[in-house]
Amino acid sequence: MTTSDSEEDSYDERSALMSSETPPVPSYQPEQSDPDPSAQGPVLRRAKSSERGPGPEPELDEEEELTLKYGAKHVIMLFIPVTLCMVVVVATIKSIGFYTEKTNQRLIYTPFSEDEVSVGRRLLNSFLNSIVMISVIVVMTIFLVMLYKYRCYKFIHGWLILSSLMLLFWFSYLYLGELFKNYNLAMDFPTVGVLIWNFGAVGMICIHWKGPLQLQQAYLIIISALMALVFIKYLPEWSTWVILGAISIYDLVAVLSPKGPLRMLVETAQERNEPIFPALIYSSGMAWMVGMANPAEGERQQSVSGPLSLSLYIFGWCLSLYLMRVSPSLGGVKLGLGDFIFYSVLVGKAAATGGDWNTTLACFVAILIGLCLTLLLLAIFKKALPALPISIAFGLVFYFSTDYLVQPFMDNLATNQYYI
Amino acid sequence: MNLERVSNEEKLGLCRKYYLGGFAFLPFLWLVNVVWFFQEAFIKPAYTEQLQIKAYVKWSGLGLAIWVAVLTTWITIYQHYRAQWGEVGDYLSFTIPLGIP
Repeated sequence: MTTSDSEEDSYDERSALMSSETPPVPSYQPEQSDPDPSAQGPVLRRAKSSERGPGPEPELDEEEELTLKYGAKHVIMLFIPVTLCMVVVVATIKSIGFYTEKTNQRLIYTPFSEDEVSVGRRLLNSFLNSIVMISVIVVMTIFLVMLYKYRCYKFIHGWLILSSLMLLFWFSYLYLGELFKNYNLAMDFPTVGVLIWNFGAVGMICIHWKGPLQLQQAYLIIISALMALVFIKYLPEWSTWVILGAISIYDLVAVLSPKGPLRMLVETAQERNEPIFPALIYSSGMAWMVGMANPAEGERQQSVSGPLSLSLYIFGWCLSLYLMRVSPSLGGVKLGLGDFIFYSVLVGKAAATGGDWNTTLACFVAILIGLCLTLLLLAIFKKALPALPISIAFGLVFYFSTDYLVQPFMDNLATNQYYI
Repeated sequence: MNLERVSNEEKLGLCRKYYLGGFAFLPFLWLVNVVWFFQEAFIKPAYTEQLQIKAYVKWSGLGLAIWVAVLTTWITIYQHYRAQWGEVGDYLSFTIPLGIP
């Protein structure tokens, strides 16, 4: 999907994740005439679609070719950013100890502690945590949809800018600090100041205004990775897995069911014939009040990156939920940033707590397979689909089975020098 | 955004804004300007605005070179003399490595 011409406001991070193909249709369709816009599905209110106008009735083979549109090429175009994001997260997890250190700090959204003795109690707490988290998400999403419905665009814009500001500056500052500490390098404030200022400012320009496509994509990948790292650090272990599962179910419901908030968002945007998200992905600001009023337990000195900023951030991420869809568009497929984040959380958590590389790789492969299947479904159904459920389901299955079945098996084989 | 699909005036405007923005201590912006508009300025066949775009790209490149020189000098000085500067060195430091320098 080309993002340039039809974008009045370049806030559309989602579209930035799109293929940078200039011709809107991939070249393996030999006699490609104007693609039939009705085959594009209900999503994508780019101004471009109006240029094309109603196409001619597709003949049978054109229809088949259009189905093939979201084929191998698009799958690969999505693989690359997803893989990059996961690689960044796994590399960080494996090398920088900070993100896997045990911490007593928790997000306000996961108030139940997991330091319980009995398995049952711990399981119960993780379920309760995930219920709290999902309710927060539901509330935020509905709030977002309401804001959008009542056209409070300025509010949304401001919120969005604040949260991407925080992400680009604050979290990257912390990340840089941990990176230097890890490799025992000296760094001075002026240089760090220049680095962070440049990184953040150019990021804001690229994401919220205009910038080269690859840079925009790179920034979005980095942002998703940073977010995923934050989650990996601050979500307790069992809660993470339960939350991942719960979010996938929520995604399924929110996008597909007729009353789902995300679906309403899409439909409202289509009715108004405007891009779904005028710069709406992350948010902060509001959550700060809530976070301050009820500090998480076990807050310590480390609160530099503590619950405060995290609660700030979490709301932003809630909004990124709207992005958790795979949707067809002219010339490409779009994948939401929320998806990137959760895929990376899954793989990162597997890397942090799983046995060894076997588990990590298995989860990685599982997610990619899930993504392929999702895109296949997208090609068949041609409307916005939730991208999380299939991949996360595979990921979870692979994680638990590899960790508990395959891993000991391989270890035993190696110990006994038995090669298969 | 894709430069292919933008009009020449817009390209010029964009290049100019990136150039001006770089003065806010943003050499990275100048770098992006140079890389992004390099093809437009030097490789594409001539068009009306190309001369100005070329000028902006050149000046961005110059500004970038100056910044790189300054930063490199400062970083070298800092890394070399940090331990000797005692208190000032610590004050300036974002992270202090452990162990004996």
